[in-house]
Amino acid sequence: MRGRVFVFGDYVDTDVMAPGGVLHLDIDSIKEHAMEAIKPGFFKQVRSGDLILAGKSFGIGSSREQAPAVLKSMGISLILAKSFARIFFRNAINIGLQIGIVGENLNFTDGQEVTYSIEDRYIIDPKTNEKYTFKLPEKLPMEIISRGGIINYMAGEFRRS
Amino acid sequence: MKGKTISEKVLSRASGRDVKAGEFVWATPDLIYIHDITGPLAISALKRMSMEKPGFKGKIFFIFDHVFPPKDVQSAHNILSMKQYADDHNISYVKEGEGIEHTLFIENDTILPGMFVVGGDSHTVTAGSVGAMGIGLGSTDIAVTIHYGKNWFLVPESIRVDVRGILRRFVTGKDIILELIGKLGIDGANYLSLEFSGGGMEKLEIDDRLAVSNMTAETGAKAGIIVPDEKIRRHYTTRGIDINPVIPDDDAKYVDEFFIDLDDLGPKIAAPFSPQNVKSVSDVEGVKIDQVYIGNCANGTLSDLRQAAGVLKNRQINENVKMIVIPATRRIYREALDEGLIKIFIDAGATVGPPTCGACGGNHMGILGKDEVAISNTNRNYRGRMGDPTSKLYLANSYVAAASALEGYIVNPEESL
Repeated sequence: MRGRVFVFGDYVDTDVMAPGGVLHLDIDSIKEHAMEAIKPGFFKQVRSGDLILAGKSFGIGSSREQAPAVLKSMGISLILAKSFARIFFRNAINIGLQIGIVGENLNFTDGQEVTYSIEDRYIIDPKTNEKYTFKLPEKLPMEIISRGGIINYMAGEFRRS
Repeated sequence: MKGKTISEKVLSRASGRDVKAGEFVWATPDLIYIHDITGPLAISALKRMSMEKPGFKGKIFFIFDHVFPPKDVQSAHNILSMKQYADDHNISYVKEGEGIEHTLFIENDTILPGMFVVGGDSHTVTAGSVGAMGIGLGSTDIAVTIHYGKNWFLVPESIRVDVRGILRRFVTGKDIILELIGKLGIDGANYLSLEFSGGGMEKLEIDDRLAVSNMTAETGAKAGIIVPDEKIRRHYTTRGIDINPVIPDDDAKYVDEFFIDLDDLGPKIAAPFSPQNVKSVSDVEGVKIDQVYIGNCANGTLSDLRQAAGVLKNRQINENVKMIVIPATRRIYREALDEGLIKIFIDAGATVGPPTCGACGGNHMGILGKDEVAISNTNRNYRGRMGDPTSKLYLANSYVAAASALEGYIVNPEESL
């Protein structure tokens, strides 16, 4: 797959992804404010198939599922980070947003084109042909993502007693 | 099996299996609650699952505390749609205005020691203040738990925090947790549970414990549990409530241990733009402030209001400062009124608002404009948390916030009062 990578630092919090002042609105309205405190106009730049590359504890802060939901709704297809905050990690999995874990600092320019494969767990910088690998979540979370989220997963696994 | 932490014991009971840290379990909580900001998305998920009535047989509460009183038509509609869904699907809700969920459910004994609680809010960890395991979840997770009566959880490893000594004057539970966040960092307990004990904790009143457990969320912790002790037992027995407290085994395994000596602890402050940016108040003394905000799920307690009122009594806040005080629940508001605290706030020039999450999460009732600086006893100070991305927020205890309101800049009450 091809896409552009948007680069963020450590500890990007859920307040900047989905700000409190608009959190009572629907996803399409919140989306316009996603990351505006640290990357103004972000929502206009993102197209389907794009990626986020971030540092430590991406999605730190609140439980708001609106945070991964606006990113997914914009077209973000993969978030790679050194680590994820616990609730963001669950929320992303539950809504079927693919995440992956990178072990090192990857050298990409904000907005540059890359090619990547989720199945084969790599991302390539076409300018240098440098190839980086990433880790996917464990078996259960991966199974939930691959079925499109927790709702589909539960429907397949359990009948209501 | 021996050698268990509180989290291992609670999740063993909730999953019906004898489990240890590192295992995935399907577990059933004792209580589920969700509010008016995360609730509408949960209802969308429940509708996608075509739920007729909850598969979960325990207590469920919808609560409307984040944007109450409604600030606009959409926030009014969010509450209306949650009430309608609750009525149609055999779910209870708490009437508007009763207070902020995490404080209210402890105050009215909905949350009890040993319980396993999930809430659609990251500060559900506050349940740990009375020895319950509270875990924050997102909207779809809450919906799935309501529908199926269970959800998947990774049993967390635990860090032990040993607190000794006695709190000094002008130092509170807020400073204990700020000190720990400074040591651990904002993701130092990610995926882990924190377990607090020691002679220093045993002396703490419940209001101070609320502050400690509440901001364990700001270490990334999955739960922040204070080992229930004699004070907790007495708190419930005097009210005629039977409890089933869970305590760790003597040989419980911890991945790490921290030690905090209260005798050496002074007032702390988290500077912008992260709760882990913790300093001594004296290090930021003199920073000019535009707003002082008292109140949230951890620090809108009667103790906080007493502390702030004690500082403000017979004094006037600085003419360049606006001060907003929000009691966390209706009962706290009433008690503050009976004790004369509300009069002190009003006479000092502060504004007293109704119980609500308010400006703490940047929702309403005290939003900061461009370049404004505030000091607050709330729990997060990320960029734009309380308003404009250029605004700045310092987090401290209620004495520090109130003393700073008098001067118009940040002061250390140990020196200024």
